[in-house]
Amino acid sequence: MSTSWFDQAIGLAAGVLLLTSVLLVWKRSLAAAVRSLAVQGVALAALVAVIGIYEGDPQLVAIALLVLALKGFLLPWVLDRSRVRIAAVREETPLLNTTASLLALSLLTMLAYLVSRPFLTLAPGPTSAAVPVGISLVLYGFLILTTRRHAISQLVGFLVLDNGIATVAFLTSGGVPLVVELGASLDVLLVVLILRVLTSRITAEFGAADLDDLMELRD
Amino acid sequence: MTPIQAGLLTQLALAALAVVAAVLTPPRLRARVAGAAVVGLGVAGAVTGAWALGGGQGALRIPVSLPFDPVVLSPDRLGGLFMLVAGLVGAVSASYGISYVRGPAASRTSWSAMAVFLLALQLVPAAADAVSFLLCWELMAVSSTVLLLAEHAHRAAVRSAALWYAVMTHLSFVLLLVGFAVLADAGGGTGFAALSTVPAGSAAASLAFALLVLGFASKAGIVPLHVWLPRAHPEAPSHVSAVMSAAMVKMGVYGAVLVTIRLLPGGPAWWGLLLLAFGAVSAVYGILQASVATDLKRMLAYSTSENVGLMFLALGTGLLLRAQGSAGPADAAIAACLLLVVSHAAFKTTLFLGAGSVLHATGERDLDRLGGLGARMPTTSVAFGIGALGAAALPVTSGFVAEWALLQSLIHGANAQDRLVAVVMPVSVAVVALTAGLALLAFVKAYGIAFLARPRSEGAAAAHESAPGMRVALVLAAASVVVLGLAPGPTYTAVAAAAGLPGPQPVGWWGIDLSAVGALLDPVALTVLAVLLVVPVLVVSVRLARRQPRREVDLPWGCGGVRLSPRMQYTATSYAEPLARVFDDALRPERDVLVTHSAESRYLVERVQFQQHVGDIVEETAYRPGIRFVDRLGLLARRLQNGSIHRYLGYSFVALLAVLVVVSL
Repeated sequence: MSTSWFDQAIGLAAGVLLLTSVLLVWKRSLAAAVRSLAVQGVALAALVAVIGIYEGDPQLVAIALLVLALKGFLLPWVLDRSRVRIAAVREETPLLNTTASLLALSLLTMLAYLVSRPFLTLAPGPTSAAVPVGISLVLYGFLILTTRRHAISQLVGFLVLDNGIATVAFLTSGGVPLVVELGASLDVLLVVLILRVLTSRITAEFGAADLDDLMELRD
Repeated sequence: MTPIQAGLLTQLALAALAVVAAVLTPPRLRARVAGAAVVGLGVAGAVTGAWALGGGQGALRIPVSLPFDPVVLSPDRLGGLFMLVAGLVGAVSASYGISYVRGPAASRTSWSAMAVFLLALQLVPAAADAVSFLLCWELMAVSSTVLLLAEHAHRAAVRSAALWYAVMTHLSFVLLLVGFAVLADAGGGTGFAALSTVPAGSAAASLAFALLVLGFASKAGIVPLHVWLPRAHPEAPSHVSAVMSAAMVKMGVYGAVLVTIRLLPGGPAWWGLLLLAFGAVSAVYGILQASVATDLKRMLAYSTSENVGLMFLALGTGLLLRAQGSAGPADAAIAACLLLVVSHAAFKTTLFLGAGSVLHATGERDLDRLGGLGARMPTTSVAFGIGALGAAALPVTSGFVAEWALLQSLIHGANAQDRLVAVVMPVSVAVVALTAGLALLAFVKAYGIAFLARPRSEGAAAAHESAPGMRVALVLAAASVVVLGLAPGPTYTAVAAAAGLPGPQPVGWWGIDLSAVGALLDPVALTVLAVLLVVPVLVVSVRLARRQPRREVDLPWGCGGVRLSPRMQYTATSYAEPLARVFDDALRPERDVLVTHSAESRYLVERVQFQQHVGDIVEETAYRPGIRFVDRLGLLARRLQNGSIHRYLGYSFVALLAVLVVVSL
């Protein structure tokens, strides 16, 4: 694999990651959100695969397959099923409206680039150049978590955050050992499954999956 | 294995057994099985303590892998004395508790906590290093809080009392922790041997002294750190109040003695003066509050504050006189402090157990609603009476002996050439005299209103004598008050040995010889003499009276009237009213008089309602503002925590962003 091809592939994958997250913040339809999340998972898997092929590391390729199965297919499928089950369509009233959210995104992206300057100066290269994307993903995920009310949106935000962490990990350290990745993936899977059960319970209890209803549970 | 080691191990085993018994036995047998184990624990503590007091050696090392000096339980003579006192009080109170406990106080938790509490109480004086001391201290604090909470579901006051207690006891713990840390830093180790290498004149020693004494004073209920005491003692089950007041509070005194006599002997004069001032204020304030209190157990709690004040006063006098070079009176004062400890343990156990019997029989703690219990509960009445005599420091009781020794040392200590001492000693005599007088008034009130005259409520009228188990414990406690009062010699010898004072001479029939101040007391001889003098007089007057014709009077105290109702008697409030008037500024009682006029004429009064409430002025002026401030902070902090998940996530998000911004700058 030539270096320029590698540069292009990394750039493309990072671009898709960023684009899908912007779409996630932009769109209020939950179905679209889940689809974007699936695309993001595939892009993340592609990123890992490209790094693996470039460095000739079969373990990394195996991890890429794992990421693809989990984040590209399994988790979006789980999310979609619970979305269908509780008949949720749209994130009705986010705490921040779409325009303000997109503005916040641009600020967060700037912050991410500012923060990751040391990476670029330490080891210039295509992988370091993509690190700000990973950090942006973490911040976007957090933004979704803090501004969306719907339980499904919260799950989406959590997964974006996790994708961001994974992206940074793969880009900076050239991949993590298979065991660690396996553990982390299992964690995420469990969290999502638990949250899914919780979401259906909340819906059964309150008639909606709006997390603000949980305020009544305080002392 | 030495007897001390065996004793300590037996205590641990019995406490474990008591906890297991409390958890596993069915409710029907629980009080008996677990109670018997706790009594055994107390007896084991008393035996171990007596052995250590007699000079027995032995240490129990607790293996730890921390960078401290070894954690060792090894009671010395002083510790042995306190372990003996705690063990006896615990055993008597637990045996009383077996028939006394009902409802939540008889639960698994309560009996387990009782066992742990007693164990911790007995091990605090056994600790031979700061770490094990603090460990046992904290165990004692936590288990007593659990015991105090027993009836929290029934009365809201219990929760508030437990909160006050928990806060004050942990304040004390923090002060002790810092104090020991300062001392350990200066001495280079946590063992008491290392701590006692710190020279008493150094700044570190003075700082440690101030911190430790404040911490111990809080536990001992010294004014102004006493606020938990009048709340916690009334709300705890009575047998727990007895242990708390008669044994736990003493651990504060033990701590003060430990610091000033064993760890940092020969401190400067101001140490003694500080202790003396604390003690004097608490003694007067405590007994004043006790005299006007109408809740029986609250009154006993304030009386505890007074007695501990006298102990601190005695200890302070001893230190002051030692620093000024008059060793004889100083030794007498320190012995008086420990005599007060022993005597207070005896009579306060009696009084609290007696109050428990009254509460058990009538369901009332309010003196204004009691009365006439003397005829209904003869045993309790006699036992409480003996306890009251002890608390009022009247002869043939232990209280008299202790206060006599204190007064002797104060009076003979005043001979010193030093101006300070020449001023302080007479003032202290006046304080002790005032305290003794007020104590007499307070306990005449408590006994007279509760046990004499006619019942003032239906509960009091329907009272019945308590169960045999409770009576046995009460009689034992009351007997100890009289025995300690009649034969103080052995106690004095033990106390002198505990404080390392020069050997006392036995005198007469188990009497005391304070040879250093030239005073002798032989209660048995005095009693025999008094009986020999009084009996002929009595015989002659009875003979003479018999010659007169007998007149029949229905109600000698009726002043000729026959329409006597119980409402016409003195009540606790009215009996103490003159006192409340004299000490108006110090007590600030709130009085409400509500007069309802008759509908026909304004000159006719239909009903007068009188209410009096005496608050705690220290609490209102020193604590309330602080509490209000903390409350306001708490309300502000609550706004941060409004239950919204988004807000909590937002906090993390903002924190993350702030960190990132700072990093990228």
